[in-house]
Amino acid sequence: MPGFTHLHTASGFSLRHGASHPERLAERAFERGMDALALTDRDTLAGAVRFAKACAAAGVRPLFGADLAVAPPPGPARGDESVRRERRRTPVRGGAFVDESAARAVFLARDGARGWADLCRIVTAAHAGADIPLLTWSDNHADGLTVLLGPDSDVGRALAAGRPDRAARLLVPWREVYGDALRLEAVWHGRTGTGPGSLRLAARTVGFAAEQGVRPVLGNAVRYADPGMGPVADVLDAARRLVPVDPKRGLDSGEAWLKGADAMLRAAERIVESAGFRREAAHRLMEQTRATAAECLVDPEDDLGMGSVHFPEPHLVGAGRRTAQRTLASRAAAGMVRKGYAGRRAYWERMHHELDIIAHHGFASYFLTVAQVVDDVRDMGIRVAARGSGAGSLVNHLLGIAHADPVEHRLLMERFLSKERVVLPDIDIDVESARRLEVYRAIIGRFGAERVATVAMPETYRVRHAVRDVGAALSLDPADIDRIAKSFPHIRARDARAALDELPELRRLAGEREKYGRLWELVEALDALPRGVAMHPCGVLLSDASLLSRTPVMPTSGEGFPMSQFDKDDVEDLGLLKLDVLGVRMQSAMAHAVAEVARATGERIDLDALPPGDPAAYRLVRSAETLGCFQIESPGQRDLVGRLQPATFHDLVVDISLFRPGPVAADMVRPFIEARHGRAPIRCPHPDLEGPLRETYGVVVFHEQIIDIVAIMTGCGRGEADQVRRGLSDPESQGRIRVWFAQRAAAGGYDAETIRRAWEIVEAFGSYGFCKAHAVAFAVPTYQSAWLKAHHPAAFYAGLLTHDPGMYPKRLLLADARRRGVPVLPLDVNRSGATHRIELVSESAVASAGVWGLRLALLDVHGISEAEAKRIADGQPYASLLDFWERARPSRPLAGRLAQVGALDAFGANRRDLQLHLTELHRGARSGGGGQLPLAGGRETASAGLPDLSDAERLSAELGVLSMDASRNLMDDHRAFLRELGVVSARRLREARHGETVLVAGAKAATQTPPIRSGKRVVFSTLDDGTGLVDLAFFDDSHDACAHAVFHSWLLLVRGVVQRRGPRSLSVVGSAAWNLAELVELRARGGLDQVAARLAAPPGTAGDGSVPTDGDGDGDGTADGDGPARARPGGSGGRPAPTGSAAPDPAEERRIRMPTGYEMHPWADLRPAGEGPAVGRKLWHQSPGSAG
Amino acid sequence: MTILCVRFQLPPAREAALPELLELLEDFTPVVEALPPDGALADLRGAERYFGRGAVELASVIRVRALARHGVDCVIGAGPGPMLARVALRAARPGATCAVPEDAVAEFLADRPVTVLPGVGAATARILCEYGLDTLGRVAAAPLSTLQRLVGARAGRELHEKANGVDRGRVVPNAVACSLATERAFGRDELDPDRHRGALLSAAEEIGSRLRAVDKVCRTLTLTVRYADLPRSRTGGAPPSTTRSRTLKEPTAHSADLARAAYGMYDALGLQRARVRALALRAEGLTPADQASHQLTFDPADERARRIEEVADRARAKFGPRAVMPGRLAA
Repeated sequence: MPGFTHLHTASGFSLRHGASHPERLAERAFERGMDALALTDRDTLAGAVRFAKACAAAGVRPLFGADLAVAPPPGPARGDESVRRERRRTPVRGGAFVDESAARAVFLARDGARGWADLCRIVTAAHAGADIPLLTWSDNHADGLTVLLGPDSDVGRALAAGRPDRAARLLVPWREVYGDALRLEAVWHGRTGTGPGSLRLAARTVGFAAEQGVRPVLGNAVRYADPGMGPVADVLDAARRLVPVDPKRGLDSGEAWLKGADAMLRAAERIVESAGFRREAAHRLMEQTRATAAECLVDPEDDLGMGSVHFPEPHLVGAGRRTAQRTLASRAAAGMVRKGYAGRRAYWERMHHELDIIAHHGFASYFLTVAQVVDDVRDMGIRVAARGSGAGSLVNHLLGIAHADPVEHRLLMERFLSKERVVLPDIDIDVESARRLEVYRAIIGRFGAERVATVAMPETYRVRHAVRDVGAALSLDPADIDRIAKSFPHIRARDARAALDELPELRRLAGEREKYGRLWELVEALDALPRGVAMHPCGVLLSDASLLSRTPVMPTSGEGFPMSQFDKDDVEDLGLLKLDVLGVRMQSAMAHAVAEVARATGERIDLDALPPGDPAAYRLVRSAETLGCFQIESPGQRDLVGRLQPATFHDLVVDISLFRPGPVAADMVRPFIEARHGRAPIRCPHPDLEGPLRETYGVVVFHEQIIDIVAIMTGCGRGEADQVRRGLSDPESQGRIRVWFAQRAAAGGYDAETIRRAWEIVEAFGSYGFCKAHAVAFAVPTYQSAWLKAHHPAAFYAGLLTHDPGMYPKRLLLADARRRGVPVLPLDVNRSGATHRIELVSESAVASAGVWGLRLALLDVHGISEAEAKRIADGQPYASLLDFWERARPSRPLAGRLAQVGALDAFGANRRDLQLHLTELHRGARSGGGGQLPLAGGRETASAGLPDLSDAERLSAELGVLSMDASRNLMDDHRAFLRELGVVSARRLREARHGETVLVAGAKAATQTPPIRSGKRVVFSTLDDGTGLVDLAFFDDSHDACAHAVFHSWLLLVRGVVQRRGPRSLSVVGSAAWNLAELVELRARGGLDQVAARLAAPPGTAGDGSVPTDGDGDGDGTADGDGPARARPGGSGGRPAPTGSAAPDPAEERRIRMPTGYEMHPWADLRPAGEGPAVGRKLWHQSPGSAG
Repeated sequence: MTILCVRFQLPPAREAALPELLELLEDFTPVVEALPPDGALADLRGAERYFGRGAVELASVIRVRALARHGVDCVIGAGPGPMLARVALRAARPGATCAVPEDAVAEFLADRPVTVLPGVGAATARILCEYGLDTLGRVAAAPLSTLQRLVGARAGRELHEKANGVDRGRVVPNAVACSLATERAFGRDELDPDRHRGALLSAAEEIGSRLRAVDKVCRTLTLTVRYADLPRSRTGGAPPSTTRSRTLKEPTAHSADLARAAYGMYDALGLQRARVRALALRAEGLTPADQASHQLTFDPADERARRIEEVADRARAKFGPRAVMPGRLAA
């Protein structure tokens, strides 16, 4: 019995429909003896590339297709009146049903590249409409496609309704368009009745096909790979339709799995017998199916274009009539002259060498394309910088793409591109985040919409969303769902039960796990299934004019950019040129700071031409008070900077490189610091190696150093050396390399001892280092931001607060500004701009060194729109409240918020009186009456005798409205209580002895569980107590007692031991933690005795319900998606879980072993439980009578 | 110290017992004002002298009798006026009657939240709290004109007086106008309109037969739909719900009319994806059936339906509540 080919198969890429990944389907197809399998996802081809690769691995021939919703042909004769429904009333609650009424048909690509192009076009056309994908009849035609009309098509529905006459009428237009390529698909899912999946409908379809002379095929409308996955399909249906699973309305039949040939033959027999044919006719049905599959020949390599490269046509990138290579050469030469390298021979040689490599691969158009984009961006006045290994190319530097001079910084072209390496080069450019979309528009404008598309990023189910969707489908209590979802760290869904078993902060939840029945099983089954698709935040496809016949494109939901349905990996496999245009908030922040300085003082700063080696900037870096500085602001980096004490640009490069998973894993930090401070000798096996090794005191930090060492010792070229370096991470090839290295080095005349010692270095660090070109590219903005912070602190904070680039909440930046002596000026409608501004606070004796203050911005007010902020700023100044109300026209709630935070204080009266006046103005405006406003003495607003906001209420209002404690630090209010407890402030902590046990307290700023060297899970957190920051670490043994409090509280009280590792390096190792907000409340309610009782209770037990734990229901709705910027070496991408992989093994066995032998704790490097750092009101107790 | 405000702790199913409990109060004084669904005000001005006991002592007697005769506990507040008695009730617990000291009314009120005042609902309280007037002391201190600007001229004046302890109200004897309620909860989030209507029919049947059992008719029917959603308030609170009220064409206890009214309200909501956890019906404005008028029609169907209902009621009385029921509920 030859295999059967399923022509109608949905994978997980059919959003919330298919339950299996394409890889799994391909695997199963092979196991069940099929030699071909079609992938026909709903409305998308996004799974096609993965499917093709998986099929190639499994030895199954892939067929490509799509299942599209199709609009009926126009014309009055089409009897659609019968299904038109009356317009329904708008529901008062809960929303309307999701409309899935459109008929669907399956389109299969038939004739190679033409079929694939047709398929791409038709999928693109289906997405051209307004909201839901729907293929209009005028687009519904193609020469290279085979169409299956199944139970969900209009024809199938007419048959199900018992109307063969109507079905015949509906079939006519399909036949006109597709003729012989039309098939009728019979599906039997063992259902009763005549609906989809019933035997009677299948039989009717076969009979109808015979009657009409259309060929029937057998399908199974597959949506999951294995039997028993019906409940998962039910949950997906529920999540798609946004309703709970309702057993009374019919569940999934459980039959829609990838059945083997025998089962399908049996189904065929039943169907043909029911249709009144002889049993042998089943073989004819199977034969038709096989023949249809055999026609659908699309070769992934030739027809999809996998493995070939397409650049924009040369004339679009300024080549004119010349070839791209000659244009590139002349532009590079021009760059040599412009940058003043013309007289330097080394530069010329390097340039020609690089041009050779580029010509070898034929990548000249690529460089010209990137240069074109960078030029365009720069012309728009947007800051742009290259990042990544592309910074190692002199040609890039000459074209103006990369800022740093690669020759001076000893960066190697070969790390980026060499003759030996056949991959697409990768240049990333950073632009100002606030203007990223402008850049996209410019690129589209330059190359045309038919050559440019953004890249898709599937959002996949991780544990929190899976819990929410499964819980909603199972009708669990929404409050329970919310609590469970928020308890979990951001882990993979398939680890849900393992996490319950192992994580201390989930212990309470684990105790009630039985209560939720099948929840956990279903949550794990959703693992990594796509649940939506978003625009990738940085990838842009650039291609020649054939782009649209090689990739399906849909508009993005917000901006309507064309977006390829393929994700960034698929795009690379398809040989489409991807340019990463990253929006970097720090670039925006620096641009804002520079603009502010220019506006306020007239001084123009060119950040790209700063004097190198500015002492003030390096003094700042060495003080480790680097909050807000690019790349060196995290707690770990501040610690490292404190120990390393950078003094030059090169030190910054090293510092950034050292704080990477690789160098941390290989333990480069300690030896480097020892050697740098002269406490350890510099290792150098041979004078020849002094060049590459000296710059980092004999500790290998950079990939470039390894390349150099290998090249010097063995005499091979650097291109080959880079290949060798890449081979070092694989233990198997490492052995081969060792032998080769020893032979070549010996041939080069090195003695055995030197070879042994050199190899030691290569072996120890070879697979860990960091690409120096990356680090140099990073260090440029690092230095620039440190320079700004040292010289223009107010403007620097204005930029930071406006564009919020960092890992810390804004209120912490504000606290830092206050600590560094930048006056924070309150919001004032007469002085504040839409964005943060700087203002001269006091002229000092020295004319140039007046004190600049930071004026808070209108856009920080909760709920303000950009238009409102602009209107307020444009109308300044305002003479009175009435004047403000009439000209700025704020909404009533906005005006109220402005009054609460004191932005209207200038108009007289207290803040509550102002509220009353505003209400009356609002009422007056609504009723059309004139605004009669009691005025006291001219323009001042009269007092109404209402009590003013108390200090606590003001702070609460600031937190609620601005999410910042603008007037003072919120911890100040707890000062007295903290003194009672004997808490050490961050400032006094600096004098604490190593090993001393202390109590610290503060507002939690950032919590991480990064991967660390020991393979243990360590929780790092930072507290801010108004006098400074306290960095905390919690090790394994304290997690039982601390984890819950640390993850789920905003204000923390922590007992711990002081750790000192250098003059500026200090942290507290926590042993117990309490929710400070709870203690404060106990103190206020029941005095110290109750506090004592709480402290006496065993740690780790949670407090009573008074703790404000969770809040708004959509709190983490947006946060669940994974930012692509987050590196996650633990591998939690879209790979499907093998069945049963979630069996709860002890954590020890599941420790993740990196290819390099570096071990990682399974729960490390995840975004932790809870809701991230607190913003706004959550930091504040909720008193019933407070303002707002 | 003459007015008592009593709240009986009646389970919802026993709301109909309020009249009997009021009779209990009438043993002490004829001046009793019912506060449905479960409370009453009683003016003990004459009773104190007659029984020779203070109001607080009488409150204990009332509680003992309510427990002994009806098995119902109660909470009692006492004060010089009805408003103050009601405020006192908020501070009282079973067995601990709270009395407002006549000479220190202002102090008694000063620290209490504004919501304790009768007539200050959620909306007014929100306005007052927004302006920092969260306690009665602060409200009392605010200028009258400001209060009037906040909540309107008349409400402002009343608020001002009440907050200052001026209690002009008196107890007005009235008859009970109580209500009947029933609720149908679903085991899971229910979206199916058929099952919603089934639940409404069954609830209307129950309300009808309960009304007929006590010979009452109702004037108003209220539908409450409770949803499975997170509570709007972040500090807990009831899950969200929708409430619709409809005044019937004529007061009735006829199940079919009640069901029709309930369907009408339900259909007007146009629910589609709303996850309904419970449907509740409440019959309000109950009056004796013999005082109700009924529009006769020439259509014999209506007449027949009412006679069938009568027979069915008798059958149920004899064979239990499930003996006769509408066909769609029997399935």
